Amino acid sequence: MTTTTEAPLREPAVVSTEWRPRIIAFLCNWCSYTGADLAGISRIQWDPSVNIVRVMCSGRMDPTFVAKAFSMGADGVIISGCHPGDCHYQEGNYKTLRRFHLLKRLVEGFGIDGERLKLVWVSASEGDEWAATANEMAAKIRALGPLEVSS
Amino acid sequence: MAENGEPRVGVYVCHCGFNIAATVDVEAVRDEAATRPNVVVARDYQFMCSNAGQDLIKQDIEEKGVNRVVVAACSPLMHEPTFRAAAEEADLNPYLVQIANIREQCAWVHDDRPAATIKAEQLVNGAVGRVALHEPLDPMYAEMNPATLVVGGGIAGIQAALSISEAGNDVYMVERKSTIGGMMAKFDKTFPTLDCAACILTPKMVSADRRDNLHLMTMCEVESVDGFVGNFKVKVRKKARFVTDACTSCGECLNVCPVNVPDPFNEYVSTRHAIHKAFPQAIPSTYVIEKQGSPPCMEACPIHQNAAGYVALIADGRFEEAAKLIRKRNPLPFVCGRVCYHPCETACSRGKVDDPVAIRGLKRLAMDWERENIPDPEPPPAKHDYSEKVAVIGSGPAGLTCAYDLAQEGYDVTVFEKHDKLGGMLAVGLPDYRCPPEIVKRDLDFIRKTGVEFQTGVELGVDFKLADLLNKSKYGFGAVFMALGAHRGLQLQVPGEDAEGVILGIDYLREINLGRPQWTGKKVAVVGGGNTAMDVARTARRQGAEVAILYRRTADEMPADLEEVEGAIAEGVHFDYLVSPLEVVVEKGKVTGLKCINNELGEPDDSGRARPIPIEGSEHIREFDMVIPSVSQQPFRTWFKGGVPEKGEIGFTKWDTLIVEPDSLQTGLPGVFGGGDVVLGPASIVEAMGQGRRAAEAIDKYLRGRPLENFETHVAPPDPVRGFVKAPYEHGPTYDQIEKMPRARLEARDPAARLSDYETVDYGLTEEEGMREASRCLHCGVCVECHSCENVCPPDAVRLDMKDEIVELEVGQILVATGFKSFDPSRMTPYGYGRYDNVVTSAEFERMLNSTGPTGGQILCKNGKPPRSVAIVHCVGSRDENYNRYCSRVCCMAALKFAHLVKDRTDAELYEFYIDMRAFGKGYEEFYLRVLDEGANVIRGKVVEVMPAKRANGDGHLMVRAEDTLIGRFREIPVDMVVLMGAIEPQPDAEQVGRVFSLSRSPDGFFLERHPKLDPIGTTTDGVYVAGCAQGPKDIPDTVAQAQAAAADILGMISKGEVMIEPVRATVQEHLCGGCKTCLSLCPYLAITFDEEHNNAEVNQALCKGCGTCVAACPAAAITGAGFTDEQILAELDGILAPLAMESGAIPEGVAT
Repeated sequence: MTTTTEAPLREPAVVSTEWRPRIIAFLCNWCSYTGADLAGISRIQWDPSVNIVRVMCSGRMDPTFVAKAFSMGADGVIISGCHPGDCHYQEGNYKTLRRFHLLKRLVEGFGIDGERLKLVWVSASEGDEWAATANEMAAKIRALGPLEVSS
Repeated sequence: MAENGEPRVGVYVCHCGFNIAATVDVEAVRDEAATRPNVVVARDYQFMCSNAGQDLIKQDIEEKGVNRVVVAACSPLMHEPTFRAAAEEADLNPYLVQIANIREQCAWVHDDRPAATIKAEQLVNGAVGRVALHEPLDPMYAEMNPATLVVGGGIAGIQAALSISEAGNDVYMVERKSTIGGMMAKFDKTFPTLDCAACILTPKMVSADRRDNLHLMTMCEVESVDGFVGNFKVKVRKKARFVTDACTSCGECLNVCPVNVPDPFNEYVSTRHAIHKAFPQAIPSTYVIEKQGSPPCMEACPIHQNAAGYVALIADGRFEEAAKLIRKRNPLPFVCGRVCYHPCETACSRGKVDDPVAIRGLKRLAMDWERENIPDPEPPPAKHDYSEKVAVIGSGPAGLTCAYDLAQEGYDVTVFEKHDKLGGMLAVGLPDYRCPPEIVKRDLDFIRKTGVEFQTGVELGVDFKLADLLNKSKYGFGAVFMALGAHRGLQLQVPGEDAEGVILGIDYLREINLGRPQWTGKKVAVVGGGNTAMDVARTARRQGAEVAILYRRTADEMPADLEEVEGAIAEGVHFDYLVSPLEVVVEKGKVTGLKCINNELGEPDDSGRARPIPIEGSEHIREFDMVIPSVSQQPFRTWFKGGVPEKGEIGFTKWDTLIVEPDSLQTGLPGVFGGGDVVLGPASIVEAMGQGRRAAEAIDKYLRGRPLENFETHVAPPDPVRGFVKAPYEHGPTYDQIEKMPRARLEARDPAARLSDYETVDYGLTEEEGMREASRCLHCGVCVECHSCENVCPPDAVRLDMKDEIVELEVGQILVATGFKSFDPSRMTPYGYGRYDNVVTSAEFERMLNSTGPTGGQILCKNGKPPRSVAIVHCVGSRDENYNRYCSRVCCMAALKFAHLVKDRTDAELYEFYIDMRAFGKGYEEFYLRVLDEGANVIRGKVVEVMPAKRANGDGHLMVRAEDTLIGRFREIPVDMVVLMGAIEPQPDAEQVGRVFSLSRSPDGFFLERHPKLDPIGTTTDGVYVAGCAQGPKDIPDTVAQAQAAAADILGMISKGEVMIEPVRATVQEHLCGGCKTCLSLCPYLAITFDEEHNNAEVNQALCKGCGTCVAACPAAAITGAGFTDEQILAELDGILAPLAMESGAIPEGVAT
């Protein structure tokens, strides 16, 4: 009794020709990822051009991740952690904040608009806040257009 | 299985019924996944979490050799454990499973189906890329400490604690109040059964108290939590209760406590004493003293005199006790009652309302009462009987205080006095009208009774030498206290000061005080603005002279006490401000005048006072036949040449004051201490006494061979009033709410009469005046430290010096049941709470209904009459956009309970104003119908406002205005009483508590449960649970059920005996580590140490929690974070951002689907 669909390969779907930005969001497991889940449970809509990558703590954010994301084709990157003082690991988000300022300058040094990188604090109860953040970023990236990195 | 071989990925896309499939084309996702590298099978299925779904995974592992699993389904926070377990059942390491969250973070939040499908494909591709790099991990296990911490002693905490301890486990119940019982203890009846709240709660409280393994920790608060599930380390602050467990709850103390403050247990409607028990059945039954720091008057006093204490006793007419209390800390009470410069009054909070309490006058009253009623008071017996002898040089306030304290401690004390009269400055510096000799004598007599010996007319350096005092073969004193005072007046440093008719103020006063012949001129100039100048001027007036005070600044900068200045003015002393002397004009060796110059005020100098600047050309001559410079004094150091021991040194400052250690007051010479004016320079009596007291403590330590540190004698802080900024105590009336009441003035004698003698200037207060004046005291900090309770307590259980302690606990799990706070309806001004007498909160009404409450269970208006009609307003602060959007759930039923009780206990008409009647629980609807049958009027509509009624018959009528939405009319209903059903709100410190326990909060501010339906008791922190109203508004049955559920979870974990810990941990690859130590400072758990020998960092796996901060920071990429390696995250990125097969058209074939 299997209900798995043994579907044949389909015709390619009709894909919209409109440009769709690609935004990577690194969310800490305890606050922001749970907050984004809450947005889901509450069915608060947000822009599908944002894809979430889960990390345990925003302090895990290696600057390389951001650089690679841009070089692999992301048009924008969001980093989101617990509010200051609420970090599950006491102070990881402060470390993130410290690195973020440096990272932003580095990104700008590469000729990438600093607006394409964003750091926010979203708690586990702020589903609406997460949705707003994602939408805002998507709108901003749409306005900026695709990222063209000169290699 | 081939875990380490070539990755063979199986992808399983869940429809989740329509939850995912409605928005995401799951088949397209499946097909896209099939195109990804390493994918050997891709399937979609209705419900992957079902057994059948899990079986698919297991089959593929076993049959198709799948060794990596991607499940595209709901959030990993939901079903990751399910799929990991499935993998494990098929012998695949559970950490080789990766979840792609295409429900919460995709299907549910997007409505654009093509876009959502593409996103789901990208997420799955990311997971596929990542999972190929997963390594098998072994979960870690830690022992579960069966001891459990329950935070909050309400019904939730009690219920859970009883269940957990019943099973044989230790439970620590931390409650910040003095009793457990929480909110429920305040209720009278409970809905819908009308059970008596106390009758069902108190048996549980008693069981909690009796159970050996349930440790009640009342008056405690959790300060910090470290560690993790199974092994938490908790720091608890145990606040001082000031009563020990020896308390038998007899209540004797209640008869003597003079303080009454609003009672928080009765919602501040009635009052209770500073020493109290919250309610008769309180557990523990030990009394407690409410003490919010020391009163500012006491803090400001250098000898820590219990001013607020004796003031409170005087207000009660207990003069004898007041005098006793004064004597407890003050060896010179008569003197201080007259001439203390009263820093207590300066600090007195009553000054924020009108004028400070006349504390000094009250002390004088208490002591005068003692003089009349107890002719011969006895000092308490000495505490010890020591053989050592102590010499005190100088019999001023510092010397006397030190001598008294040491004699009480048990030493033999001898005081050496240069003059023939004892008292130092009290005898020779202060005029008799301020400090009458019989007053000083009374204090001296008392001190003598302690065994202190006095030798008068013996001068240091002349009659005896310091070295001889300490010499064992001569005097043989063990220690010496130098309290020499500052008796050397300073000159003006102007020409002509050696003329006849110039005498220093301090010398002039001494000669008069000692009754020696002293000439006084006819026209006297007193130069200076301090108390000495006032004393000199007023003494010269009594000697018949015309007196002018010359001061170089203005009245505002003058350092003399205001009452001395006023006294001088009343006695006809003339004040000349902004004038400085330049030269004493002398003719034939005698003074004929003073050449002066006028000043103007400039910028402030070092002392903060405006600097006087001479005005050029304003020089002039004033005629005087006597000039008395009274600017300042310094100690004599003529004794010094009389000989000092060779070892050690006595040092002097440039002002000739003694150099002493600031804490111990010891001079450079061991065993020789100094204090009073000889150290401070000219200071006040009570400051000198403070130093005498400190010196006594230091000398006792010195002679007992203890180190000269950790002193306990009080030092007045510079700003003693902090902490009492807006109100004298927390929850007390604020200063602007306190009714003004004029300060008692001591009646002064007629100034003309005063000039003819040296009798006291003013009369003391009468007993009636004193009691009234004392009643102005605001009882800052609640307990005024009168020690009355201590004196009457039969088991001697009162300890006013008890201090807060920090207790450390080790527990495995924590239940947070910290409860709620009621909405403050004064925020809703139209309802008139706080403005109209008979508008009450539901909590206040609960207390009114309770037989132990302020009215003994009677429903009464403020005028003492039962109400003729009562309005109950629902949803006050709930379901209101302006305050709280949520429904507080219990208010409708509580309001119906009130309605029943009003109907039951009064004849009042009753109106319920509701928005929707929420009678949702078992028996609730039936109760609603019953109350309707009892004749309650229910009006569907929100109350607009409560206002005073226009009708003039009777007092305190109110009018409730509301729209009746069922009949569509606006209604105005006159009532006598309005009960506001306030919302249930999170505790005001919920944010801080949340941080201590790493709890998140939902938007309404209550603690966030792990899952709103499936785990309403867990939290995002493993091992920390939440129950009761701390998690959200709920009634007693729901609270108890949730607490029981938490207890069941906790007990389950305890019986399991160990906890699994995610193996997400950092490890250092030693060969890559460059030894830069960057990581060391980053770890908040101190899990990283440095191996100096091998020059590399090491991670302690037991301490590491896996945040990955060090991994991100390692410049050599030498630290790996298991489960979240750089490679895994980059592969996930690559998968998400790679072009989709559909887009590129590159669809490979040959993958099983």
